[in-house]
Amino acid sequence: MEPDAQLVQQCLQGDGPAWEELVQRHTRRVFNLCYRFTGNSAEAEDLSQEVFLRIYKTLSSYRPAFGGFPTWLTSVTRNLLVDHYRRTRRDRMTDSLDDVMPVLEEKRSSGRMPDKLAQAAELSIQLQRALARLSPELREAVILRDLQQLEYNEIQVVLQVPEGTVKSRINRGRIELARVLDEMGVRPD
Amino acid sequence: MNWNCAQTEERLSDFLDGLMSPEETAAFSAHAESCVDCSRLLRQIAGVVNRMQALEQVQEPHGLIRKILDSTLGASEQKQGWKRWFNWSPSLLTPRFAMGAVTVAVLLVIVFAAVGLTPGKIKRADLRPMNLARSANRQAHLAYARSAKFLNDLRVVYEIQSAIQRTQDQSPSIAPEQPQSRPDSAPPSNPQEKSQTEPRPRSQLKSGTMLAWIVVPSAASFPRSAR
Repeated sequence: MEPDAQLVQQCLQGDGPAWEELVQRHTRRVFNLCYRFTGNSAEAEDLSQEVFLRIYKTLSSYRPAFGGFPTWLTSVTRNLLVDHYRRTRRDRMTDSLDDVMPVLEEKRSSGRMPDKLAQAAELSIQLQRALARLSPELREAVILRDLQQLEYNEIQVVLQVPEGTVKSRINRGRIELARVLDEMGVRPD
Repeated sequence: MNWNCAQTEERLSDFLDGLMSPEETAAFSAHAESCVDCSRLLRQIAGVVNRMQALEQVQEPHGLIRKILDSTLGASEQKQGWKRWFNWSPSLLTPRFAMGAVTVAVLLVIVFAAVGLTPGKIKRADLRPMNLARSANRQAHLAYARSAKFLNDLRVVYEIQSAIQRTQDQSPSIAPEQPQSRPDSAPPSNPQEKSQTEPRPRSQLKSGTMLAWIVVPSAASFPRSAR
């Protein structure tokens, strides 16, 4: 498998299949980030398209020296999500996550029992609802760390904040999430 | 190292993510084991983190990748798509295609001729199965009648030719009769010579009659208009 940086170079030389490979490789990551942040599959789909359109237009500004391509991609996605959050703040006041259609989780193990699958789907929805009740700053920090599983220095690059702030947001985000889940009557442990 | 509840809450993630020094980790663990509230908080947060990290990735909607590629490479893809429509054009120049085209054309000509359709004047009604069958039947009868007429004409010509031949054969037989009146002329002893004097070609007549037998009944079986 060719490294992302090499594919980016090929894309810049007008190689269509290289771009196709990049899109196929990273669509799920971008979609998940958008979905976990917005809690809405349709919105996440539109935002994912926007992200890749922006990436496509600004591909020449990517510098491997500043970090890996996934970090840059996450950074662009995060900026777009923040813009989207600000843009739709008023709409969300009257919106409810209860209206959001649950998205089935990908089945990694085929031998899973249906009741286990239902439990996993239920927990996913509950976590999604709890995430939606966090402030955007805490939510994105928790999503980047625990769902996208980025390293602290990568999150620092994405959020463009000092390391101490990253640590603080992740910690406060986790505590807040646990409190919300507790309020919802969900016992994750 | 002294450790309190506020420090535990503040450094929870550092502990869980392994970002503490060994001394800090030891002090944190010692406090968490002795403090019920901190112990409960640690279990709770560790549970949330585990569940979050174990959460499986959501599958992207079907067709999202296609949409992304369309919105980015759309224009060039479309252009390639139009080009793709004409990708088959070079195959027109291959001998195999030319042979196939000629064969199909000949076949169509034969079929049209058999069915009685004129390629430039085909109407929609002509393509109905019933009309095609009628047309093909008429064409078959016409072709048969034409061939019968041709054979009949051939028979007439042959009969005329036979009659002329017979007349020619008879006229030399009259001429030798004049010498026969002379008493010194010997009768023909050569059988070939004798055969020359006979009315002749039975075989030709016979074949002509046979031909008539073949042609006349078949020709007679058709209505006069068809002939």
